Amino acid sequence: MKKLDSTILQALNPSDYFTLAMDDEIRRENMPGSLCGFALELDKEPDIETLQARIIEFGERFPVAYASLQQQGKRFFWCQREQNTPLFSQHRESGDKSADFHKNTVLDLINQKQAREDISPISFHLISSANKHTFLLRWVHPFCDARGIDLILKFLCTNEADQRLKFNFPELDSLVNLQLEKYKWWQKIALFFKAKRYITKLDQLPSIIHADTTKTPKQLNFTNVTLTNEQTTRINSNVRKHVGMTGTSLYYIGCFMRALHRMDPTQKGEAYCAPYAFSLRKNKALSPVLANHVGALFAQVPKALLNDRSALFQHLKNENMQVIRKKLDYAFLPVMWAASWLSLEKHGKELRKSYASGTERSSFWFSDIGKTDISEMVFFDSKINSIFHLCQITSPPALAFLSCQFNNRLTFSYNFIEPLFHAQWIDQLHEIMLEELLME
Amino acid sequence: MHTIPLLSQTQKVLMKQKIRDFIFDELIFVAEPEKFSDDDDLLEAGLDSMGIMRLIMFIEEQFGVTLPDSEIDPDNVNTFNALEAWVLQHKS
Repeated sequence: MKKLDSTILQALNPSDYFTLAMDDEIRRENMPGSLCGFALELDKEPDIETLQARIIEFGERFPVAYASLQQQGKRFFWCQREQNTPLFSQHRESGDKSADFHKNTVLDLINQKQAREDISPISFHLISSANKHTFLLRWVHPFCDARGIDLILKFLCTNEADQRLKFNFPELDSLVNLQLEKYKWWQKIALFFKAKRYITKLDQLPSIIHADTTKTPKQLNFTNVTLTNEQTTRINSNVRKHVGMTGTSLYYIGCFMRALHRMDPTQKGEAYCAPYAFSLRKNKALSPVLANHVGALFAQVPKALLNDRSALFQHLKNENMQVIRKKLDYAFLPVMWAASWLSLEKHGKELRKSYASGTERSSFWFSDIGKTDISEMVFFDSKINSIFHLCQITSPPALAFLSCQFNNRLTFSYNFIEPLFHAQWIDQLHEIMLEELLME
Repeated sequence: MHTIPLLSQTQKVLMKQKIRDFIFDELIFVAEPEKFSDDDDLLEAGLDSMGIMRLIMFIEEQFGVTLPDSEIDPDNVNTFNALEAWVLQHKS
């Protein structure tokens, strides 16, 4: 059993453990763990001096950004290091003058293998070549969730010092814990069993997985596609038509399920299943910045429903409504809390079921950050041309569909683990996905 | 023809206050909620699709109404006044 050798800065919350268990699962596949990325493509080189100063200020305000993730017994803590690693680094085109310099650098960073104790919770990278500049935030998932990254980015881009002080104030405890405190112990137990029944029901239908699981995972790759304004407008109108204003994500999930089904209708399994996280933060709140404050939900569609688009969307909408009506979203929280006291291996086996079994509840991972409100944002004197995000994935499913909307254009980032998937297959999948999204 | 029992002014004020509390406690952050008027735009303030879903479930549970799916529209949820009018239409 390892002993802590440095000062504890912060303990992990139950939702952080959920992502840490996935980090562990990914690491057991000899992959880098739960690394995520958020990238801004810029029109020119930003003001590096000011950017660097702002990043240093961020580290001073949030010292956990320099921390090392260490284990004490079964628990994990962000601990102070003897020597802080710089948060910011620059990558300039030198030897690699290929058109792929930016993508290759992003891939190197997102596939970088480091021990859990050594890796920086977050790091900031400026990738520069003659005509292109990419700013990448890379983080390990237990450190924060996607909303947290959005807040960090806003912190960096807030020029007024007094406004920057508003981030993380009031200082809030983990929102997962705050939610759990609302329930009496017997209510927590009732919720726990409700969630167990929910998961058991989901697991009655084996998920359809397209990854070639006979192959050993080697690296994460990604394909980004930015749609035109016209395509985006048409898709937004289809969203309203098919799932209404309460189900934007469900439209993407449903279309992606149909696209996968069309790639190979004979694929083994009985249903498509996709997890989607919901945030416990209030929208527009500047606190809490760090840690994970999300619960998990699942969308599951039996194979038989995939051929009828309207039945499929109706099913997804009803399912989502039932989940919220029955409070199954919050039911998952006590399960995460209970599992956070187990070893990571047991946590995975209890909560993810599929852990190290070669199967998986999720047919793919999904994240939609929706319309970002950084469209008007100037990034240290540079205009932001486009954005995209990335995440390492367990294998299976070895596939993630990530979407966002920026400047009235949708960007899809298809993340996949090679060689379980390959780029040509993903290109075909995107063609079909686009047909599905644009279908009236 | 069926009659719709009218809510008293006090009941309406209480209903609106409960909806305000739920939105500001659970769904969106507004620095000074007391300054957020009944005609200010909730969607611009950050009420998103998941939030609307939760809000509808809350209203249905709290006030015993069923809000038809087909009427979930920005015009019915974008302000407190719009929400109130929509709920009252179905409060029978």
